[in-house]
Amino acid sequence: MRPAIFLLGVFLAAGSCSPDKPSNTEEYPDASGKSAPEANLSDPTKGIGEVKEVKLHSPLEQDRIKRGLSIYEMKCQPCHKLDETRVVGPGWKGVTQRRRPEWIMNMVTNVDVMLEKDTEAQKLLELCLTRMPNQNVSLGDARDVLEFMRSNDGEK
Amino acid sequence: MLIPCALWLAVAGCKPQTPAQVATGDAAAKVYVAPGKYDEFYNFVSGGFNGQMTVYGIPSGRLFKTIPVFSTFPENGYGYSEESKPMLNTSHGFIPWDDLHHPALSTTNGEHDGRWAFGNANNTPRVARIDLKTFTTAEIIELPNSGGNHSSPFITENTEYVVAGTRFSVPVGDNADVPISSYKKNFRGTISFIKVDPSSGRLSINFQLVTPAVDFDLARAGKGPSHGWFFFSCYNTERAYTLLEVNATQKDKDFIMAVNWKKAEEYIAQGQGKKVKARYAHNVMDEKTHMATSEILNEVLELDPVQLKDVVYFIPCPKSPHGCDTDPTGEYIVASGKLAALIPVFSFTKIQQAIAAKDFEGDFAGIPVIKYESALYGEVKKPGLGPLHTEFDDKGNAYTSFFVSSEIVKWNVKSLEVLDRVPTYYSIGHLCVPGGPTRKPHGKYVIAYNKITKDRYLPTGPELTQSAQLYSIDGDKMQLLLDFPTVGEPHYAEAIPASLVMPNSTKIYRIEENQHPYAAKGEKEAKVERKGNEIHIYMTAIRSHLTPDNIEGVRVGDDVYFHVTNLEQDWDVPHGLAVKGAANAEILIMPGETQTLKWKPLTSGVFPFYCTDFCSALHQEMQGYIRVSPAGSNVPLKFSTGKVEPETTTGK
Amino acid sequence: MHKNSRIILAISALALVVTIFVPLWRILMWAPQYPESLSLQIWIDNITGDLRTINALNHYIGMKQIQVSMFPEFAFLKYLVLILTVVGLAGPVFNSRRMVLGWMLLLVLAGAGALVDFYRWGYDYGHNLDPSAPIKVPGMAYQPPILGTKQLLNFTAFSGPDVGGWIFVAVGAITAILLVWEFRFRKI
Repeated sequence: MRPAIFLLGVFLAAGSCSPDKPSNTEEYPDASGKSAPEANLSDPTKGIGEVKEVKLHSPLEQDRIKRGLSIYEMKCQPCHKLDETRVVGPGWKGVTQRRRPEWIMNMVTNVDVMLEKDTEAQKLLELCLTRMPNQNVSLGDARDVLEFMRSNDGEK
Repeated sequence: MLIPCALWLAVAGCKPQTPAQVATGDAAAKVYVAPGKYDEFYNFVSGGFNGQMTVYGIPSGRLFKTIPVFSTFPENGYGYSEESKPMLNTSHGFIPWDDLHHPALSTTNGEHDGRWAFGNANNTPRVARIDLKTFTTAEIIELPNSGGNHSSPFITENTEYVVAGTRFSVPVGDNADVPISSYKKNFRGTISFIKVDPSSGRLSINFQLVTPAVDFDLARAGKGPSHGWFFFSCYNTERAYTLLEVNATQKDKDFIMAVNWKKAEEYIAQGQGKKVKARYAHNVMDEKTHMATSEILNEVLELDPVQLKDVVYFIPCPKSPHGCDTDPTGEYIVASGKLAALIPVFSFTKIQQAIAAKDFEGDFAGIPVIKYESALYGEVKKPGLGPLHTEFDDKGNAYTSFFVSSEIVKWNVKSLEVLDRVPTYYSIGHLCVPGGPTRKPHGKYVIAYNKITKDRYLPTGPELTQSAQLYSIDGDKMQLLLDFPTVGEPHYAEAIPASLVMPNSTKIYRIEENQHPYAAKGEKEAKVERKGNEIHIYMTAIRSHLTPDNIEGVRVGDDVYFHVTNLEQDWDVPHGLAVKGAANAEILIMPGETQTLKWKPLTSGVFPFYCTDFCSALHQEMQGYIRVSPAGSNVPLKFSTGKVEPETTTGK
Repeated sequence: MHKNSRIILAISALALVVTIFVPLWRILMWAPQYPESLSLQIWIDNITGDLRTINALNHYIGMKQIQVSMFPEFAFLKYLVLILTVVGLAGPVFNSRRMVLGWMLLLVLAGAGALVDFYRWGYDYGHNLDPSAPIKVPGMAYQPPILGTKQLLNFTAFSGPDVGGWIFVAVGAITAILLVWEFRFRKI
């Protein structure tokens, strides 16, 4: 019983002191010049970030898939496999069915805020125990990665 | 019995009072930078005999970073990694150490622009350029015909030139194997004018002025009206080559040397000057390949001011001048004779008038010497003992350091009146007012860099900490705010508002732009290749594993290169690598960067390697093995990560 | 003389012997860099203290190296003190006030002589400077003070008696007081 109570205590303590945003971010804005993104209040399944609406095309855009693959190999592959196996992060198989495209792109481009506020992202962190790093992926690159994920999930 | 008692009391009463050693009043509040808040100024401090430059925050005095420049730095692999070794190449080969005395921050229109810092190597003469975006050494150029590069580096108003004067005069030309006693005949001083490319910052020696043999000490460029001129202090006009302590201190006056470098440029444009053989290294770090290259250059353009008139003039200056500082208006040149009992202040206008009127007292080795009185604006009388250096504030005041009397003296440049004095603990050398050498000083503080600390800190054996002291100069009276220890031996330092540097600070290197020939931009590119007896490991690092982390097929006698690419693209996530038994330092790899650790295994066995920078919760898991087999072994080359093989029972 | 006077005088005379074994005079110097002070102790036949440091500093301004051979007095001062002691014992032994008076004069003379000698050395030490010294301050001399405090460039110098000196002062003072008492207040 004791360890359980102890753990619960830690959890509560950790939860109650979620960090305040540093007050001096204004003085030193991020180099990419992103404005502080607000939550997609309308639809929590879209995640939090700049991406509010993604237009998907059918058939898939082959250029994007190619670029997405090379970004995957450079920035994502060490932690994400293309099948279902979880290494550091979850495997990508089926991710486009599990998540909204907006959520995926927000997770890729705005990971720090997502891990702080998005409950789905937080569940993943509890599962994987390693924070997904910010890999400085631009919005355009994230869209390419998304296209590659769709192709990986068998879309045509 | 009463008489001795009275005497005793009287005598005890005439012991001098020890100085008030405690900073008073609101000093603590003035230097307190609350946790999470930023300092107002960056302070770039020379490391002296550690060969590096260190970065402090002002007013807190907190140390942020050591930027390795002229000395190897095992802490991050500078001078040990294959990429950085060429930075320390010279015409004498690889040199692991030097002595950095003076930082100089780049200026535009005579004001700080926050782009680069320059630093001098005093021993094997070189000048380095440090990029203030990355806080790393970007370039080092060696200076031929120089010995003891002390009068260096000083920059012109728009950073057109970085100027470097030799302390030792040396034999110049092809035959340097001459008797020391032929000093007057064969030895010469040189002043190198190093051109700075205005956009890339690339350095190249535009020309060298060859001067009569003296020792050059310090210098400053003119500014505003005196832009186009340069002023150098020189001593040993006795031209002694032994026991300088005595033989170079005999004359009542040495010289300030005034150089009209615009005139020198005119001569060059006319095709004057002569190209002579010289051998010097030029080393450049490429930010895209993350590799330095070293090139040996063979020629330098020489100008002889004895033949080319109107370029160089001497001005007599009392007793071995040390500091030679131009005030923010550019009109006044303050020369500090380190053995003199007064400070002469020269007027640029009067110097020009004297030159026009040929108001000379004679010549020194063919160079005209302007009359002292004709160049003099006035003298600061009885300022203190052992004046060394002068910096300026934004209100027309000068601050001069006094080594012997161990104090800073504040005086007014126009009136030459001493306004205030404050003791330093102990024996101040250089001093720094933020923006002090520029046309627009930022004022607010003066920082003393002391030579002796003695009883100021907890003792640490025979070698004590070096120190700086921060004084407020906002009010009429200077106020001691803070003592803070410094590393190496600080000589000169400059301070610049954080707002000019901070917004440009690089956070990561973009992995897409990495052009390192051995980069593995993604785990897919991670591999191991054998080229003869060279093993090239294209390794990647990301939280929290190295790829590959199992390597076999290496043999004793191989040269093993770990080319590690940090795949992270997030700020403040370096990874490191160290290999057991490697006669080398670690490498520290910034996000998006590739660095190479070379290892020559001497014995067979299985050697662990691991990440040295605590990167994540699973940092202790970030490790691997490399197997080394005896020379001639036929263990096949293979590598993997995350691959578990059926348990092998062969071997042992 | 009163019996107690004779005993005190005898002890005083003998006390002079102690001065052979303790420092007589001391010079202290403070500078901004030396807040803890540099010191010199002058003994009957030696000079000790921060000689090395002081010599190293003083050579900049051309002062001579302080060393024992500079003081020929060291050779005979010891015997002078012994003679003073013997002479001092004569008064109480032979119970002669005049002899004590004579001894008192001798003591004063010896003290004055020592100070004159010290001044003479200090003058030479402070004025006779090496003309090729690196630092020459026009019109500046560095003669140490005889007694008390003096500013010499960045140094504040103090000169005064050490234990031996104080013994001399005390012996002189005691002798003087006893003499006054014996002559003025006691009939023989």
